[in-house]
Amino acid sequence: MSTLEKQLKQAPRHTGYIFTITFIVIALFVWSVTSITFENVDQKGIQVAKGIISGLFNPDLSLFNFSKESVPYLLVETLAIAFLGTIIGAFLSVPFAFLSASNLVPKPVAWLTRLILIIIRTIPALVYGLMFIRVTGPGPFAGVLTVGLTSIGMLSKLFVDAIEELDVKVLESMTSIGCTTFEKIRYGILPQLFAIFLSVTIYRFDINLRDAATLGLVGAGGIGAPLIFAMRSYKWDQVGAILIGLVVLVLIIEFASNKIRGKLVKGS
Amino acid sequence: MIEFINVEKQYDNGTKGLSNVNLTIDQGEFVAIIGLSGAGKSTLLRCINLMHNITDGQLLVDGTDVSKLRGKEVRRFRRRIGMIFQSFNLVTRTTVLKNVIVSFVPDLPYWRKITGIVKKEHKIKALEALDKVGILDKAFVRCDQLSGGQQQRVALARTLAQNPDIILADEPIASLDPVTAKVVMDDFKRINKETNISVLLNIHHVEVALEYADRIIGIRKGEIVYDGPTKEVTQDVLDEIYGGKTEEIQAALEETE
Amino acid sequence: MYDKIFPPREIALPNGKVVSQKRSKAPLITLLIIIAAIFSYKFTNFNFTVLFTRIGEFFFIVGDMIPPDWSFMPKVWKPLFDTLKMSFLGSFIGAIIALPAAILASANIINNKFIVTTTKFILSLLRTLPTLVSALIATFIFGLGPTAGTIAIMLFTISYVGKLLYEAIENVDMGAFEAMEALGMTRIQAFRYAVFSQVLPSYLSQSLFCFEGNVRYAAILGYVGAGGVGLLINEGLGWRDYPSVGMIIFALVITVFIIERISEHFRKKLI
Repeated sequence: MSTLEKQLKQAPRHTGYIFTITFIVIALFVWSVTSITFENVDQKGIQVAKGIISGLFNPDLSLFNFSKESVPYLLVETLAIAFLGTIIGAFLSVPFAFLSASNLVPKPVAWLTRLILIIIRTIPALVYGLMFIRVTGPGPFAGVLTVGLTSIGMLSKLFVDAIEELDVKVLESMTSIGCTTFEKIRYGILPQLFAIFLSVTIYRFDINLRDAATLGLVGAGGIGAPLIFAMRSYKWDQVGAILIGLVVLVLIIEFASNKIRGKLVKGS
Repeated sequence: MIEFINVEKQYDNGTKGLSNVNLTIDQGEFVAIIGLSGAGKSTLLRCINLMHNITDGQLLVDGTDVSKLRGKEVRRFRRRIGMIFQSFNLVTRTTVLKNVIVSFVPDLPYWRKITGIVKKEHKIKALEALDKVGILDKAFVRCDQLSGGQQQRVALARTLAQNPDIILADEPIASLDPVTAKVVMDDFKRINKETNISVLLNIHHVEVALEYADRIIGIRKGEIVYDGPTKEVTQDVLDEIYGGKTEEIQAALEETE
Repeated sequence: MYDKIFPPREIALPNGKVVSQKRSKAPLITLLIIIAAIFSYKFTNFNFTVLFTRIGEFFFIVGDMIPPDWSFMPKVWKPLFDTLKMSFLGSFIGAIIALPAAILASANIINNKFIVTTTKFILSLLRTLPTLVSALIATFIFGLGPTAGTIAIMLFTISYVGKLLYEAIENVDMGAFEAMEALGMTRIQAFRYAVFSQVLPSYLSQSLFCFEGNVRYAAILGYVGAGGVGLLINEGLGWRDYPSVGMIIFALVITVFIIERISEHFRKKLI
């Protein structure tokens, strides 16, 4: 056997593996398709689709004033929910992050905190929204609390990652300068963490804005509730106005957030 | 003046870092320490500012026995010794000026330490240090925007702002390209000549060491095998330091870099 | 602009050189954030008294969920599987459609600037729409049930995977592509062998990651009638049947956990 043939024989083979995976995926696909039916799509559905599209092109401009039911007012409310919720979440995430950093606290504490954080992250925001409405009654307040709680789940995790990725080499040079532990934390660690924490928080704000818009659907304030009312009453021009407002706001915030984060992390 | 008297350093795992080191380095000397990786160059430097503790012998800096220093005394002692690292060790996410100002931090009153608000005179001192290494115009730029050579000069400025008597440099040019390396080495030389600060540096590049240093210390397996003026370094001396394989090792080193 | 209102500070060095330091924007930004926070506080009727007197209620609900009502589990299976089916099918179809969409949005593959910009714009519009909102719209068009949920998830997956994929394609090393074109391949063949093989692992990995996230999203879509466990959660909370809600959430957490493990296993292999 020539070396060439030997090498050929040694070429890694995943055929069986890939075949199995493909088979499983196809089986899952077939199983999933069973839940899909289009029998509910009738003339009405097509009417609705037409209505929404025409609504998007002919939005109800009377909603763009500054009354309490207007789109701008509701968008500002949504922004306020997301903003306050993010700030609360960010502040509360700091202790959670330190409590779950296994190099800082005893193992069981870190482990328990991580478990709590995983559970917080897994439960969808809407569920918290429904629960907080029981606490505060419907309205934006419930939205703020929901956004705050869900932010903790994600921000703590990202904060811990930042803590674990700290560049500790700078501490060595600060030791050589004669700095105390406190000075090393204040001038070596905090400047690093601050930029990352801020960047991550802004990223979460971006997500929270979408969450806050959705929370309105369960009555936790913001633009979601008027959207669902407009749809239920087939007022497509209003639906169009609300959707346009929401999309524009989210796009602006996303753009700004990307710009600022780029500056914070990369410096330009 | 730095004096090593029978200095020995044994690591916790039992390996010997340094054995029987006897050296005297006068104020204002420019000394290059050469040797293979792991020969103990870094250990030798780090013993001087107590980043490593010696296990036997005496190490005197201007007559003080440094191994007797404790806690606060250690920190005060380190204020007089600047140190430069291969990887620059800057806080990359803040401005150049703030990095330099860190060297004043231990002397600030508590409220200034916490708030980070510094006096104008400190700012001016930091800017002067930046001017000395020629990057004054970068003072308010974030460090991550700078090239490697510029970052090493920020580190040098940070050390100069400390106003030290001695600068220890641990492989200062190992992460730099030859051209920037030359600029940084020129800075070291100039500072050494103008301010009479002693400069001790570890270096892999023998030719650079021979070009810049007044005195060469060769170290092999933790022992000093050569100590003398640069002029007297011959191929035999290098063979002795590098175990007779200078050329091969140089080639290998260049590859790994 | 800022520098005109707050002129830079001049610092003179003893050797005569003058450095101008721009005024820090930090105080102004901090002030703006504080103002925005106070404004949001008023605007959202945030109320510490209510928070502290009523927050017990929240933990009371949580307490009621533990232990979950195990006997409720038989009713959870079908919606739970519906949730899984919706997220799987939506992610699968979405990821497949994302591929051509991403190619159309890649400036280094498509020479027509108009197509590239339009596709990118459509992808970002799709991404903007919260999944629940598109699910709501889908229920009106496709009727109540998992179909609407699947469509909503599919739309989100297209936008998410599509964006990451075109970013990956645009960042690909084009040297191989040029080399293959030089070999005489068509652009499509060159794409297949040079670009696609480079982005394939990250494409599969992102699709899996998106699927993971979609399982969580799918769980709530039932709230607007788009199938899955969301409807049950809403009913349970409405009737204050917290042990049943606890059961659903428990089942959901376990499911999400398992899916994450599986997906993570494959994603690790891909990198």
